[in-house]
Amino acid sequence: MSDTARTSTSDPAGVPALDPTSGAPSVVLEEVTRVYPGKVVALAGVTLTIEPGTFVAVTGPSGCGKTTLLHLVAGIDTPTTGRVLVGGTDLATLHDPSRYRRDQVGLVFQLHQLLPRLSARANVELPMFGTGRSSGERRHRADELLALVDLAGREDRLPVQLSGGERQRVAIARALANSPHLLLADEPTGSLDSVATNRVLDMFREVQQHGATVIMVTHEHDVAARSDRVVEMCDGRVVGETAV
Amino acid sequence: MTFGGLVARTILSKKARSAGLVAAVAIAVLTVVTLAVTSSGLESSAAQIISVGKADFTVVQKGVSDTLSSTIDEQEVARIEATPGVASTVGVLVATERINADNPVFIEIGIPPSKLAAFGVTILRGTAFAPDATNQVMLGWRAAANLNLKVGDKFKANGAVNTVTGIYSTGNAFGDAAAMFPLPAVQGYNRVPGIVTLVFVKVAPGASSATVAARVDHDMPELTTIRTASQFGRADRNLIYLKAAVNGSTVLAVLIGAVIVGNTMLLSLFERTREFGLLRAVGWTRRRTVGMLVGESLILGFVGAVVGVGLSFLVTAVIERLPALRGILHAQYSASAFWRALLTALAMILIGSAYPVARAALLSPLEALSHE
Ligand SMILES: Nc1ncnc2c1ncn2[C@@H]1O[C@H](COP(=O)(O)OP(=O)(O)O)[C@@H](O)[C@H]1O
Ligand SMILES: [Mg+2]
Repeated sequence: MSDTARTSTSDPAGVPALDPTSGAPSVVLEEVTRVYPGKVVALAGVTLTIEPGTFVAVTGPSGCGKTTLLHLVAGIDTPTTGRVLVGGTDLATLHDPSRYRRDQVGLVFQLHQLLPRLSARANVELPMFGTGRSSGERRHRADELLALVDLAGREDRLPVQLSGGERQRVAIARALANSPHLLLADEPTGSLDSVATNRVLDMFREVQQHGATVIMVTHEHDVAARSDRVVEMCDGRVVGETAV
Repeated sequence: MTFGGLVARTILSKKARSAGLVAAVAIAVLTVVTLAVTSSGLESSAAQIISVGKADFTVVQKGVSDTLSSTIDEQEVARIEATPGVASTVGVLVATERINADNPVFIEIGIPPSKLAAFGVTILRGTAFAPDATNQVMLGWRAAANLNLKVGDKFKANGAVNTVTGIYSTGNAFGDAAAMFPLPAVQGYNRVPGIVTLVFVKVAPGASSATVAARVDHDMPELTTIRTASQFGRADRNLIYLKAAVNGSTVLAVLIGAVIVGNTMLLSLFERTREFGLLRAVGWTRRRTVGMLVGESLILGFVGAVVGVGLSFLVTAVIERLPALRGILHAQYSASAFWRALLTALAMILIGSAYPVARAALLSPLEALSHE
């Protein structure tokens, strides 16, 4: 199985275990504002509809609210006013957002956020706790995903023993652990060179083609241009749209 | 990786913190177990005195601070003897004396020789002493072995150089480590003529010892009857105080330990706030996140309990050998001491982790992730 996964890195059909039969969700923001304590307006009224199964890039200058938007869609943060709907469900009505994240969402953070004392493999296994997989299955799946991001043979390394780009790829493997239908990535190529950036973007495309909605935050225009649609933000508002 | 493996990895990667928590639990468990085993040793060796005479019940003076300071006079003994249902009685005077460093509180029992057989004293070698002898003694076989004496040897005690007339057995370790003298000899040396400490009572065939004891309790309010070793603790005020002090110290040790556990866990929680935020962000429920924190503490608490019991063995071994306590303090390890250790550790962990766990459960993943 890991052999298939390894060869799959050049073959889009090889993304493991993304279930193509269940649908990628739509993501809808209705008049969303987010005001942080101290009257910091991170989002000043965002209305946005992202079609199921699209690969969308969100761009804009630093501090314009991109990360905030992603956190709201992940259910990590809640809007001050307005609604966030994923697959038609208002996230505010979710009894347990952590289950929604576990079962639907893959998250790649701006800072890769690996646990330093755990191996690459164990970091990738983390989202799989509580999904009913045995520890053997978790391990197998983690190795498969690490092979997919070209880290076969480095499963046992600690984060400090990996380069910045390698760590980012571990974080991507972790985001894919539960075959999410919604992949949210915050500046995933920020620390990568152009070769690695291309690899990551290819991977996101594969994930999207296998039935996921992908939202990627980036401030790099050439990276954004690799998506289907670019949403441009400024000062907490959507200020422009480009279909690629 | 299993959940347990994850917990173990965390424990091992935070060695200083883990060791701190183990030490806090171990010290509390050490305190609690050592107090429990030494005090129950004291209690049971004190209580053994009432089972020396093979009686249905024992009578002592009510409300004395320590059973050996009980005084009962001859008239009272006669009244007990006259109580309906009582078949026979023997009043004994119990005194203690320092013989040497190994026997700092040697027990001396004054008893009329005519009553020996009836109250379960078997003479193994030699003969009984004469009723009015002032320099004759019988040694329990353990005492004879400890003192390295045999029939015919001289034994200096009770104000005289006594000839050992016999070696006896009572089938009771406490009685077998003592010496018996004619009752008047002990009364004379201790200047308490006509006084005894305990009265052992046998009830008539067919009579209920509970009923007869109740009758004695009722007729002689200045006395109290003891039918079992556990009733002994109620008659002896020193033991009551001792138990209260042990229980109080146990509660204190648990509370102090719980504060240290709570503090350690809180520090660990602050240090790992980002981690908890991350785990919640990748889909861990509150329950699982908190479960990890509690799992870590429970494992460390268990290790602390084991270490604490081990240390307690060492400490009691040392205490028992202290010159001031040699021959007095006998630690008594029982299953209940180990349950006490586990309960202590568990109580500390549960009390100590209550606040950190509440903090962890209330942590919002967003705040946790932005925590520096
Ligand atoms: N937890 C927070 N508390 C207060 N202000 C915040 C917080 N998070 C973000 N902000 C502020 O909200 C604005 C938008 O932040 P963010 O969404 O991180 O922007 P971007 O990701 O586009 O750089 C910024 O002004 C930022 O300082
Ligand atoms: Mg950002």
